[in-house]
Amino acid sequence: MSDFIQTLITAMAIGSLYALIALGYTMVYGILKFINFAHSDIVVLGAWVSYTLAIRLLPLLGLDPHNPATVPPIWVAAVVLLAAMTYCGVVGFAIERLAYRRLRRAPRLNVLITAIGVSLFLQNVGQLDFMFGASPQKMPTLLPSWELASFTFGEGESARRVVIGLIDVVIFSLATILMLVMQYMVFHTKLGVAMRAVAYNTDTAALMGIPVDRVVSFTFVFGSVLASAAGFLFVMKYPGMNQPAHAIWVLLGLKAFVAAVIGGIGNVRGAVLGGFVIAFVEQFGAFYISSNYRDVYVFALLILILLVKPSGLLGSPLREKV
Amino acid sequence: MEQTSPPPQGLVANVLRGMMPFAVGIIFASLLHFVLPGMIGRYYSRIVTDIGIAIVMAVSLNIVNGMTGQFSIGHAGFMTLGGYTAAFITYYGSMCIWGDTASHGGFLGRGEWLFAVSCLMGGLFAAGAGYVVGLPSLRLRGDYLAIVTLGFGEIIRVILQQTGPLIDSAEALKEGGWSQMIPPPVGGALGFGGVPKYTNLFWVYTILTITIVVAYRLKISSIGRAMISVREDEIAAQAMGVNIARQKVLAFVIAAFFAGVAGGLFAHEPGVIVSPKDAGFQRSFDYVIMTVLGGRGSISGVMLSATILTALPEFLRDFEQYRLIVYALLLIIMMLVRPQGLLGIHEIWNLWPLRRSKVSTATPEAKS
Amino acid sequence: MNKPAAKEVVESRSAQKPLLDVNAIGISFGGLKAVQEFSLQLPAAGLFGLIGPNGAGKTTVFNLLTGVYEPDCGEIRLGSKRLVNRKPHQITAAGIARTFQNIRLFPDLSVLDNVRLAGQLRNQHGLWSTLIRTRGHLREETMLEEKALDLLRIFELQDRAQELASNLAYGHQRKLEIVRALATNPQVLLLDEPAAGLNPQEKMALAQSIRQIRDRFQVAVLLIEHDMPLVMEICERIVVLDHGVTICRGTPNEVQNDESVIAAYLGTGLTDE
Repeated sequence: MSDFIQTLITAMAIGSLYALIALGYTMVYGILKFINFAHSDIVVLGAWVSYTLAIRLLPLLGLDPHNPATVPPIWVAAVVLLAAMTYCGVVGFAIERLAYRRLRRAPRLNVLITAIGVSLFLQNVGQLDFMFGASPQKMPTLLPSWELASFTFGEGESARRVVIGLIDVVIFSLATILMLVMQYMVFHTKLGVAMRAVAYNTDTAALMGIPVDRVVSFTFVFGSVLASAAGFLFVMKYPGMNQPAHAIWVLLGLKAFVAAVIGGIGNVRGAVLGGFVIAFVEQFGAFYISSNYRDVYVFALLILILLVKPSGLLGSPLREKV
Repeated sequence: MEQTSPPPQGLVANVLRGMMPFAVGIIFASLLHFVLPGMIGRYYSRIVTDIGIAIVMAVSLNIVNGMTGQFSIGHAGFMTLGGYTAAFITYYGSMCIWGDTASHGGFLGRGEWLFAVSCLMGGLFAAGAGYVVGLPSLRLRGDYLAIVTLGFGEIIRVILQQTGPLIDSAEALKEGGWSQMIPPPVGGALGFGGVPKYTNLFWVYTILTITIVVAYRLKISSIGRAMISVREDEIAAQAMGVNIARQKVLAFVIAAFFAGVAGGLFAHEPGVIVSPKDAGFQRSFDYVIMTVLGGRGSISGVMLSATILTALPEFLRDFEQYRLIVYALLLIIMMLVRPQGLLGIHEIWNLWPLRRSKVSTATPEAKS
Repeated sequence: MNKPAAKEVVESRSAQKPLLDVNAIGISFGGLKAVQEFSLQLPAAGLFGLIGPNGAGKTTVFNLLTGVYEPDCGEIRLGSKRLVNRKPHQITAAGIARTFQNIRLFPDLSVLDNVRLAGQLRNQHGLWSTLIRTRGHLREETMLEEKALDLLRIFELQDRAQELASNLAYGHQRKLEIVRALATNPQVLLLDEPAAGLNPQEKMALAQSIRQIRDRFQVAVLLIEHDMPLVMEICERIVVLDHGVTICRGTPNEVQNDESVIAAYLGTGLTDE
């Protein structure tokens, strides 16, 4: 039982992260009809920018960044997060502007190849020595490792404690806040209407006077902001950071994309649902079946969904025309 | 590209004509094998071997990505599957036949024939996987297919990582019996080491010849046209009687076969230990980049880009960390400026002003 | 509002077994009935027209006949073969060929290759013959090329055989679409708005062409068109669709004077219903 609860907690936290990342994929796919392979690299970027900032900032406050016991005041975490989000937002804007804008009418496979190129570029530039370097690092602690709640199961020797840490709560809450902001924006503002119009039919939206370029830019920026937040939160929970081109990041992004597809590509609520579904499948599969095949479960689920219900669990607003 | 006069009669003439390119290829490969190392030394010969393998991979991938227009980014998965299969047969076959896993026999000796058979089996096994992967392609759009093929490579990688350790002696093999074959003892995450190293210039370039001839004959024939039509417009192709499902799966199977054989060559290459990470997307991307740069559908273009992209890193080792960055920029710039790749669908030999046959596909008339 | 009832006109021709026998096919998308109870009997070497206002479902009928869509109900027979539930390429092999409303040539293939591709569906030699280059395979490829060139010659396109299809002038592209469809050796030819975008002279030439095609190649032709003079001039019989329903069928004369047809095109305000 305790294992179940612990796995559940982890799944909720990881699911939030997948959901945040999946939102970026689904928004871009909805608007521009291609998989932005470079999206996962924004997550990485967010993580590494957070790291770099933290490493620089903490000494200025007289704290040793490599000592996990010293915890800075909360505002430091907030500053780092906001800075990472800003940085990644700008990068997202630049990518769209430089690499994707001219290909808006090109065959989708061409854009896909470009996206792979951008992804490779970001990964490997990140590895350069004057950027983040190619060695793994450890993220400094920015949040106190409080236990907000704990349950004890069993007695005496077989007692097992399940802990809900501050980090998990922060992840879940922050992700939820961002998703609610997103939900509000997409469904209750004029900008959201514009986004959905562009997703439905770009040319008609342009004819209706919607500034398509600006809407697309905004979509990229917002998606990148969410992605960077996810990166930040990820290294809060798992401070051991791999180098930017490490396969782990790409798999993270890939699974988030699978989440978007499972929920229904182009469907914002679907992305959130998909994120949690993937997380649950992954965590529970890893715990109860075998952790060695962790990555396989997710892909197997993808293949299943694509063969059985390709429009996803909540349906996709994008239709195929013959 | 295609002769218009009816072929000369006579069975012998026909056989000669059909087999000629292969004969030429074998002679060329033998020449390479015996002459080249003396001329340029072992290190560069090794590069030439690597180029050969890369060309087989890129040309075979071109059948799927370039000609049929499907976006497969899991080609390395087929290669690794084939490589492991071939290594398995050679390694354990050697043990059963000769009692150890050293190389046996010299050039074209018994050991090399075992190696040839095992490469063939590797190709067949990979072709079967190609069939399995090709089936979902019938229902999936381009970018989804890309993800599924990517996932395929990753699944292969994970599965190979969970395999058991190598059995290192013939006695242990006999004692253990059949039960030690589940999970297959191919080395797990450490890779399949200890495989007798039979790969040499002769075999690589013989297989390369076969690959190119097959790809070429495919391209200029009705089947090639059908595949290209699938790429251009599926609905129109269907309306013209093309069974698009068949063409797509056929492309996958043929490409996977050659990737599997290339994998066998790779696994037996001196200095190489084939390992699970060879099935991952990093390797697949290398081959995708080759097909994209060389020209989607151009055999010669892809050969060229495969050569350059395999040889150049060797000479620019100091700049290794910039290699992928350059590739990335090349990809982006290509898509912006020349998305059909360097040669598009054309072949180098079609760009010459003198052409003997009056009819050829895809001549460079107005559009490049 | 009541939809006008279908008006049948008695066939003056003696009843003969039709080549293409379509019986009450229909299809719905979501809740929308795109085509309802569509029937047609096209005799061998017949030249029929299918007209109707935009959105009436004409191309949908073509898609149903060629297997792009599967009908919810009804039967399609070509001669004695049942065609429902068959894939598009099988239907083409059975003998129904089509052109497209928006030109769908293969842009990166040459004119000759576009035609060769259409001619190869009955190839006997498969993968292994191709790879080994057997005599039979080479003979087949040579014949394929000759037939394609012959076809191009008939339509005066042989000089452009090597050009990329996308480089042809619009009028020639439309012609090539028809040539390509003919290369599949069909018994029935479905032409979807072949006159779209053509100037008056080209339209006259097209009208001539269609008749000649019918005579020379012995194909039955079903034509979707918006150009009324063209349709009235060459079609023997016309079927009129509106909102998926057949509202009239008969000779050009009968159709021209039919009230419900006029109403469908011009609106009910002008007729007394």
